[in-house]
Amino acid sequence: MENIAGAELKSEIKILIMETLNITDMAKEDVADDAPLFGKDNALGLDSIDALEIVMALQERYGVRIDDKNQSRFILQNIVSIADFIIQNRTK
Amino acid sequence: MSSKPFEHRMAAHCESGTVSAILRHAGMDISEPMVFGISGGIFFGYFESKKFPFPTFVVRSRPGRIRANLARRTGVKFRSERFRDPSSGERELDRLLSLGVPVACQTDFFYMNYLPDHVRVHINVHFVILTEIEGDGYIVSDSYSPGLALLDRDSLRKARFAGGSFAPRGFLFYPVFIPERIDFRKAVWKGIKSAAFQMVRLPVPFVGVKGIRLFSKRIAAWPALARDTEHLSHEVMKINVLLEDQGTGGAGFRFMYATFLREASAMLGDSDLRGMSERIMEIGDRWREVSLFAARIGKRRDLDRARLGELGSMINARADAEESFFNDLLDLSKKKKY
Repeated sequence: MENIAGAELKSEIKILIMETLNITDMAKEDVADDAPLFGKDNALGLDSIDALEIVMALQERYGVRIDDKNQSRFILQNIVSIADFIIQNRTK
Repeated sequence: MSSKPFEHRMAAHCESGTVSAILRHAGMDISEPMVFGISGGIFFGYFESKKFPFPTFVVRSRPGRIRANLARRTGVKFRSERFRDPSSGERELDRLLSLGVPVACQTDFFYMNYLPDHVRVHINVHFVILTEIEGDGYIVSDSYSPGLALLDRDSLRKARFAGGSFAPRGFLFYPVFIPERIDFRKAVWKGIKSAAFQMVRLPVPFVGVKGIRLFSKRIAAWPALARDTEHLSHEVMKINVLLEDQGTGGAGFRFMYATFLREASAMLGDSDLRGMSERIMEIGDRWREVSLFAARIGKRRDLDRARLGELGSMINARADAEESFFNDLLDLSKKKKY
């Protein structure tokens, strides 16, 4: 069973991403936790510049630093992978 | 034949990652940032000449210097060789692998077909390690691949003997000697001194902090050099690619250098280096803002004089910050005993 803190965090991440990228035509419920955020099948239509914006927003909000592309490719796969990374590394 | 399995790890950058991995296999446990820092890999150069189709910049030392400088400062010895004839190059590689010696090779990145198509471009200075022969191919440890990969013989031959700028000519290397005792204090400080010297003292107008300032001023002239808005947009967006996408470890290697200084601080018990690590990390964060700003205005084709002026000011602020940082680092390197 998923714990409540994890569910809250995932919801918070979705809102953060949508606010950062100014996505207004979708609700957070439209983004499944395990849906790919990047690549050809991504629901939000994100690109590498959006990825950098998300990386910087996560750093500001949670104090987590994602240094390089090799790392961000795996961390930014979906909402679950971002949440896992934040839980393990957050300083805020 | 050695039976020691090759331990694959991903790395941010192919050359420093390859040197770190091949040394680790040979028994010298050295991290990628430590390889990068000792070799004095951090750099800035702005290039605008007839040799280049459009102005560009680099944020690391010349390919090959990482291995050479690390060797000079630690006493590690590598054997290296280039080949005129592809068959000789292939025979030598096969001979070494049959002896159980993993070998680092310079390749054209485009032929690394175990990586997704959209990331593969023709760049002749991609370093990988061939760990063993497998059927009619090779097992490859590539810093950009999540695990060991298989590459067919034909692709490797094309990759090692591709033509063009920085042609690999079958270049390979592997360590043949690792000193029993390495004076890391000396190696670290020599690496720091050389990098800081290049950044603030080298009397060349397009290198180091002077190069960053030149970049900040010249960007206003880019519209006159571009064919059209589409071209200008592409070149401005490339600033983000050069700083973030090309195995830089983020912020044009500034984050990797911060990690080096942090690791060096712990290794040498030197708190000054810890403080410097935090400063360059902060400088890197601001470089990342430059990246994002350039990517945004390039994508929106919002490239008028005012916007480019804003971008130039952000870059000039990086020059100020790096001038102060590398001057302080150079002073520190002169005060320390090693």
